[in-house]
Amino acid sequence: MEKNIYIIKTQEVFDAIVVGSGIAGGWAAKELTEKGLKTLLVERGRPVEHRKDYIGEGLKAWQMPFRGSVEKALVDEQHYVQKKCYAFNDATKHFFGNDKDFPYSTPKDKPFDWIRGNQLGGKSLLWHRQSYRWSDHDFNSNARDGEGVDWPIRYKDIEQWYDKVELHAGISGSKENLEILPDSQFLPPFEMNPVEKEMKARIEKKWSTRKLIIGRTAHLSVPASHHLAQGRLQCQARNECQKGCSFGAYFSTQSSTLPSALATNNLSIATNSIVHSVIYDPKTNRATGVRVIDAETLETREYFAKVIFLCASTLGTTQIMLNSVSESFPTGIANSSGALGHYLMDHLYGAGAMGRVEGFEEDYYSGRRPIGLIMPRFRDYNEKNPNFKRGYFYMAGAQRASWEQLGTGDGFGAEFKANIRQPGPWYFNLSGSGEMLPRYENQVSLHPTLKDKWGMPQLHIECSFSDNDWKMMEDIADTAANMLEAIGLKDVKKDIRAKRDWHPGLSIHEMGTARMGKDPKTSVLNGWNQAHDVPNLFVTDGACMTSSASQNPSLTYMALTARAADYAVQQLKLGKI
Amino acid sequence: MNLPALPSGSDGVSRRAALKQLALACGLALSASSLSALAASFSAPTDFSRSKKTLLTAKQLELVRALGDIIIPATDTPGAVAAGVHDFINHYTAYCASSAEQQQLLATLARIESAAHDEFKTAFTALTNAQQLQLLNAMEQAQNGFSQADRKGLKQLKALVVFGYYTSEPGATQELAYLAIPGGYKGNFKLKEIGRAWALNF
Repeated sequence: MEKNIYIIKTQEVFDAIVVGSGIAGGWAAKELTEKGLKTLLVERGRPVEHRKDYIGEGLKAWQMPFRGSVEKALVDEQHYVQKKCYAFNDATKHFFGNDKDFPYSTPKDKPFDWIRGNQLGGKSLLWHRQSYRWSDHDFNSNARDGEGVDWPIRYKDIEQWYDKVELHAGISGSKENLEILPDSQFLPPFEMNPVEKEMKARIEKKWSTRKLIIGRTAHLSVPASHHLAQGRLQCQARNECQKGCSFGAYFSTQSSTLPSALATNNLSIATNSIVHSVIYDPKTNRATGVRVIDAETLETREYFAKVIFLCASTLGTTQIMLNSVSESFPTGIANSSGALGHYLMDHLYGAGAMGRVEGFEEDYYSGRRPIGLIMPRFRDYNEKNPNFKRGYFYMAGAQRASWEQLGTGDGFGAEFKANIRQPGPWYFNLSGSGEMLPRYENQVSLHPTLKDKWGMPQLHIECSFSDNDWKMMEDIADTAANMLEAIGLKDVKKDIRAKRDWHPGLSIHEMGTARMGKDPKTSVLNGWNQAHDVPNLFVTDGACMTSSASQNPSLTYMALTARAADYAVQQLKLGKI
Repeated sequence: MNLPALPSGSDGVSRRAALKQLALACGLALSASSLSALAASFSAPTDFSRSKKTLLTAKQLELVRALGDIIIPATDTPGAVAAGVHDFINHYTAYCASSAEQQQLLATLARIESAAHDEFKTAFTALTNAQQLQLLNAMEQAQNGFSQADRKGLKQLKALVVFGYYTSEPGATQELAYLAIPGGYKGNFKLKEIGRAWALNF
């Protein structure tokens, strides 16, 4: 990366400003620069360069003083929220936000765990990379049962954009011809192990409505030539993903969208630049730029452009919009509807079941596969829901017990040691990912008095699971346990972890606080991710989502971003924005 | 007993070698000068300047060492002592355990010591191996005057030994099988091809 792409102060009026450099921001930068727009990518965190700054990569457990654990004092002081994320450890902690620097408030009885990645590349360095298309069942859901507002788009509107982003990013998976989970443009699927194949056979024999298939993931199982040209290589199954991957084997801003954007010579990057607000000109009814606070010096500066893309993460983007107040928009830019900040959703994780599989003692696997299996949604699709709205899919997988489980057994000495040397019994698990309804009362607002160290008003987050959410989690656990019993597993145990320690936010699929919709009176964005109120302002991260479906949302952010960028450039050329 | 070696990241030369290895694995043609630039700009994680606080007294450390040897002895591969598990526990609990967990561990050590004195009128480390096993088995089964709380305490100690051992270099690479770069996932792999479990996750 050349030094001069990084800027701090400039009088240049760019064609486009993209706020945030994660999964959505990277795509916005790539698409806008490739269409010839001089684009400034604004990132609140520090630069992270591919390969060079993956400081935890390749570290073995024994090369870390606490074997991947982080000191309690450091966690207590700086990472008290981030520590709850499964991927937080000694080799990845520098890619998470520092909770001390990024405070937010919640009511005492409504905890929300906000997981953040504040650096160039954002959470694209941290995501779990499962990549699924949404179907018309998902885009129709609000219209079907009347919760939330109807999506302004349908599957056919986004289909070609899924094609486009999948080919570039590289999504592995199996072609299944399922209406509920449309196929992507696939690289070859990762392999199932023999127990997973057996579980698939047993389940599909009993239920024609339930399929068990390999998960779909943004990993190069077998790279195509254009991936090799990006400098990306085949996944080595190291399980180093969240430490950063020098092979570029998984999709991240650094491995995939940023190199393309840089190759155009149209990209500039301003890091350590915390966007305070969007600058609005009431005379033209246009956003003209962004006000920025320097992360290190606390100085303020401004950047200007003809079109603004907000891709600062669902809650980050909403915080900026709420803070962009003017006479025209006293409650936040583009908020004539009053919907801004409301309808916060996450996915319902933390419920499922597992059981022991007898036999298969000679079978094992090699490598740390970056994806499990899934069972696409069946509950409100081809099976009836008992007592709740919407549905869920299962994540699944079979593994043999390792020292982590066997080491809890009784006994001492050579026999104890010998028992752990051999892999233990096989276990198969089903774990749900449920759709959370869009509810007005799940909302974020600016705290009236509390500010962070840069003077930004803190977000106040009020979000909790509803009765519908809890009923669904009960069904996720019960249905999983019944299914495992029915296919002959032993010691079946179900669990709803969400009853103990899984709060909204921890699934890291927060969505919906600047939703799309047909009606400017009830939604913030139109069908092109364009603010109803301010035509040159676009929001393409998770804030735009109108419902949450049950699938992981990132692939949809990519497709919506590419589509919105194409539309914005057309409108710009037509002189309409 | 020494702690496991520090990573190559603390040393520019071996970092460069590691980068070169990685670059070769990636099929990248990196020139000598770009490698130097990479190595020079590579900042070692701050983790490795951590000081070496300890939790245990010399006597307690000696007891943990003895317990490690009983739980995971040397066989055809090194055991917990050779892997430095007792030193690891000494540092790990000082930095990563809560004060309640620290107190629990110290109470467990005291309980083992007092049981040895009550039953055999001597220190645990002075007992024969058979006596030590007799005592620990009773404690693990919550029998012969040991409570469920004693069993829980012993389980915590064993968990620390197991964690320390199987994440150590000998535990992960000699006792178990370890592949830094597996080269992809194989679902049809047979156990007999390696004959032992993978050291998972790292």
